[in-house]
Amino acid sequence: MGSPCHFALFELQPSFRLDLEQLAVRYRELARQVHPDRFADASERDQRLALEQSASLNEAYRVLKNAPQRARYLLALSGPELPLEVTVQDPGFLMQQMHWREELEDLQGSANVSGVATFKRRLKVAQDELNESFAVCWDDPLRREEAERLMRRMQFLDKLSHEVRQLEERLDD
Amino acid sequence: MALLQIAEPGQSPQPHQRRLAVGIDLGTTNSLVAAVRSGLSEPLADTAGALILPSAVRYHADRVEVGEAAKLAAPGDPLNTVLSVKRLMGRGLADVKQLGEQLPYRFVDGESHMPFIETVQGPKSPVEVSADILKELRHRAEAVLGGELVGAVITVPAYFDDAQRQATKDAARLAGLSVLRLLNEPTAAAVAYGLDQQAEGLVAIYDLGGGTFDISILRLTAGVFEVLATGGDSALGGDDFDHAIAGWIVEQAGLSADLDPGAQRTLLSEACAAKEALTTDTSVEVSHGAWSGLLTREAFAELIEPMVARSLKACRRAVRDAGIEIEEVEAVVLVGGSTRVPRVRQAVAELFAREPLSDIDPDQVVAIGAAIQADTLAGNKRGDGEELLLLDVIPLSLGLETMGGLMEKVIPRNTTIPVARAQEFTTYKDGQTAMMIHVLQGERELISDCRSLARFELRGIPPMVAGSAKIRVTFQVDADGLLSVAARELASGVEASVQVKPSYGLTDGEIARMLQDSFQHASDDKVARVLREQQVDAQRLLEAVEAALEVDGERLLEADERLAIEAQIQQLRELMASNDGLAIEQQTKRLTQVTDAFAARRLDATVKSALAGRSLNEIEE
Repeated sequence: MGSPCHFALFELQPSFRLDLEQLAVRYRELARQVHPDRFADASERDQRLALEQSASLNEAYRVLKNAPQRARYLLALSGPELPLEVTVQDPGFLMQQMHWREELEDLQGSANVSGVATFKRRLKVAQDELNESFAVCWDDPLRREEAERLMRRMQFLDKLSHEVRQLEERLDD
Repeated sequence: MALLQIAEPGQSPQPHQRRLAVGIDLGTTNSLVAAVRSGLSEPLADTAGALILPSAVRYHADRVEVGEAAKLAAPGDPLNTVLSVKRLMGRGLADVKQLGEQLPYRFVDGESHMPFIETVQGPKSPVEVSADILKELRHRAEAVLGGELVGAVITVPAYFDDAQRQATKDAARLAGLSVLRLLNEPTAAAVAYGLDQQAEGLVAIYDLGGGTFDISILRLTAGVFEVLATGGDSALGGDDFDHAIAGWIVEQAGLSADLDPGAQRTLLSEACAAKEALTTDTSVEVSHGAWSGLLTREAFAELIEPMVARSLKACRRAVRDAGIEIEEVEAVVLVGGSTRVPRVRQAVAELFAREPLSDIDPDQVVAIGAAIQADTLAGNKRGDGEELLLLDVIPLSLGLETMGGLMEKVIPRNTTIPVARAQEFTTYKDGQTAMMIHVLQGERELISDCRSLARFELRGIPPMVAGSAKIRVTFQVDADGLLSVAARELASGVEASVQVKPSYGLTDGEIARMLQDSFQHASDDKVARVLREQQVDAQRLLEAVEAALEVDGERLLEADERLAIEAQIQQLRELMASNDGLAIEQQTKRLTQVTDAFAARRLDATVKSALAGRSLNEIEE
């Protein structure tokens, strides 16, 4: 069964550059129309349909508002299915990854809270740069391979920021 | 009403009179019922003028007593008087034993794993005890509002897991209440505040009740209440403060910790009184038997410090989960009676670096918000302005057991509901024909640290080489936060699904028996009402299907499909005149099933025509 793509649900053209504020506004408008609360009085079937439509809307919003997931989704829309885990052929980036991780381990070892804050800011800058590179690359259909590589980097940084959160939690104990 | 009311959801075809719906705060210590009257949401009082109903139930041989009188009788009749039953909801006997030393009941095993309390009326499950509280509130509401309720919004702690939510819904069912929605308590409080103060922006709701603690971070935008993250502890509350003071008394007075149930109750009431006195006074004289001593506010603050710290840690985690910085929080709202404790207020103010709000009575705010939501859900439009919409999240991750006793997360915590997500698994042995699906909830890696929600088996997988079967497990969480799980082998189409019945819930047999009991004791003829409801449902469906056939039958249906639908319509028409509720219900279901594909096509057609003329991408998924 054909189902509208995440972008179409929001009446948007597939694109990496996205106004997140506007996306949020549109999400709230759409949620108003399909949320099961609007169908509390309706038949069982309409309630079920509302549940399904709301779930698809929430899923679409979750993917689109997150840069790495949006990038991955765009690549999947326009090409062969992407395996979740691949060996990354990206030696320069691998080196940088190792540095990031070592730093994070040191921060954990020294329980350095302000160090973690600085680390987070640097990570954010790196993520913004990467997003910009992907956006430029995505506009050029000939640079798909490079786009895939950048998407992998984005995923890695996303995972790293998740680890930072876990570290913060441990330091909070 | 029924079939595919796509254009204007929630709007009834005819204006109808105001439908009575209430919000119920089913609390650990106290419960309340509220309703919107003349545009204003307010708690409803009993005949004596009391708003708060203590969540206390005393069982006599021939009757049930609920509220203040039961609470006062607790020290004298501890075995037949149940207090703080909410702490037992959705829990197993083993969980209860952890709280056990402090609970003066005799527990017995039931048909399920629930902890039944032995009383003069026989064993009572926590669900039944809660239902007795809900019944009392329902009667109060019907007396005050002067009519039968169409339904209720019942609040639950945001941090309640699936088992605890399901138990709450079961209790409402036993009490004869139709649940319009289970609503998270902090979200309800946010509604009360948000609408009252026309607030916008990021808000934190700190909700410390008698037995549970919740923290929620919300974004308020033009009537939309979007929960960004929630956290808490479903076993942390004012009761624990009482226990801390009781422990202090035992230590100071040199008592043996091994008290009989009556003495335990007395001690806890004394502790509670001391705690309440310390809200206004800086010290209080405590006496127990021959002993007496002075408890200062500082000493009390020290006793509860570990618990306060636990709550603050949960706040910091929720802020991180929301992806914001703590400075961005623009308002902090205090909810729950335990936020009257000065040390709690001070700690919250320090953490968020701002004075918390408590303009709406912290004991009432949840019920007030729930009533507003109930009124909206019952179809009573709020006058001008935007209609409110609540977007909530699941508090704890949901997942499955995988090899090695590990939990694989399928839906992470703080995901917006409703949500549906699928994950694929495979067989690990050659020729494997069955697979056990074990559904879990929690944040830990090891399944032994997570809550087991349900187990079911997918059978009939065609024998294949290990790793080549594809089993897709789909999790769906509805707007009440309740989970259902389905599993399907993709090559053969073999299916299995469960409405998750928590391992610690009531069995269907138990629910059937309790419902039967309540039917027998009810004065109004419920069976007739159920039959009438089924006839109404059937009539609605018939009208809707016929209208849909008229409009789209020609365009969207093959001739044989149309004949099949018409045959089912004919059968339902014939059954309508009978008094066989069950047959009507089944035939209604059959007609619904046979028109399912038609409904989906109509929906597609509507969406397409709505989007016609714009350039859109359609993909195959």
